[in-house]
Amino acid sequence: MTCAELEILLCDYTDGTLPAEERTALESHLAGCPACAQLAADIAGVTAFIETVATIEPPAELVTRILHQIPDGKQAERRSWWAKLGGGWLQGVLQPRYVMGMAMTILSFSMLARFAHIPDRPLRPSDLDPVKAWQSIDDRGHRIWDHAMKYYDNLRLVIEIQSRLKEWTDQDQIVDSSPRKPDAGTSENKR
Amino acid sequence: MVTVANPAATWNWATPSYPQVSASDRLDADTQLVERCLSGQDAAWEDLVKLHNRRVYSICFRFTNNGSEAQDLTQEVFLRVFKNLKSFRSGEGLFVVWLTRLTRNLLIDHYRRTRMERATESLEDQAGALEENTAMMARTEGMLAGREASELLQAALQKLSPDLRETVILRDLEELEYREIAQVLNVPEGTVKSRLNRGRAELARVLRRHKVRI
Repeated sequence: MTCAELEILLCDYTDGTLPAEERTALESHLAGCPACAQLAADIAGVTAFIETVATIEPPAELVTRILHQIPDGKQAERRSWWAKLGGGWLQGVLQPRYVMGMAMTILSFSMLARFAHIPDRPLRPSDLDPVKAWQSIDDRGHRIWDHAMKYYDNLRLVIEIQSRLKEWTDQDQIVDSSPRKPDAGTSENKR
Repeated sequence: MVTVANPAATWNWATPSYPQVSASDRLDADTQLVERCLSGQDAAWEDLVKLHNRRVYSICFRFTNNGSEAQDLTQEVFLRVFKNLKSFRSGEGLFVVWLTRLTRNLLIDHYRRTRMERATESLEDQAGALEENTAMMARTEGMLAGREASELLQAALQKLSPDLRETVILRDLEELEYREIAQVLNVPEGTVKSRLNRGRAELARVLRRHKVRI
């Protein structure tokens, strides 16, 4: 028996569950190997020492504390879907920073709506008709586009740029349309 | 002098750790209890906690050497049990093994989380080590009392690596079978035995260094 083989059997030897044949082989190895004999003695000593060790009792109030934090079974069953919804992704969303972000978004949209002259009035059942809602959105979309274009066209910078571009275009057209003098260059060279 | 890690905990060496019941009896009793819990019986949760809190607390206390942390971790374990009990399959093994695996995973998470804190604390501990050794000199003669032995073992266990410590705790203190420990730690049975040998040998060296006759 090698030292490695002995180590595999050492637990069963300590437990006293090793078959007689293997036990004899193991003990004969121990007799001739001081390192393994020391290991076996250490293990036997420690297991004997641990047997004298007192068991640990938890504090008496621990059971109460555990039961207090655990909701009863029925409650858990009933709340399971809500717990998944409320305790899962919704809990992650309901963080102060996200709530603040949502509030700022709503505020921004309300300011934009005010800026775009969208009247705020209470919602009526007829507003929920899909055709009407689509027409309203389409109408508002066009109006907003028209407003934006009008605002853009009226900007001083835009007007100046447009008028300058127009001037250049007109000048180019005048130059192109004026009659050419084919001999002008030749006569000057001659001078 | 070794300090009492948990004044709230009491030691009892007159009675055995756990009632000796066969695996099949344990399987039936725990399976029925789990079924009662899952069917929403309030009293079943109480029975489950009362039956298993000592084992969970003991593992946590032996591993962390801190009564307050052990209590918090035990609470956390039972909260996880409450949340994940549906995932327990009685056909796949004993409830005790499932519970121990859950406890062990939580302890490993806790160990990794508090690694930095322990690194700073260990420097402070070195100052008290000499005083501790001198006090232990007086105990070399005669058999140590159960509580005293428990405190010495507790201090010595903290010197082992987590792998060896948990194996020794599960086998020598919680008295789980090798097969059960292998399931808890998710390693082959041979690895369990090898770790147990190394853990016990290391423990012997630590105890001897502390002048404890073994």
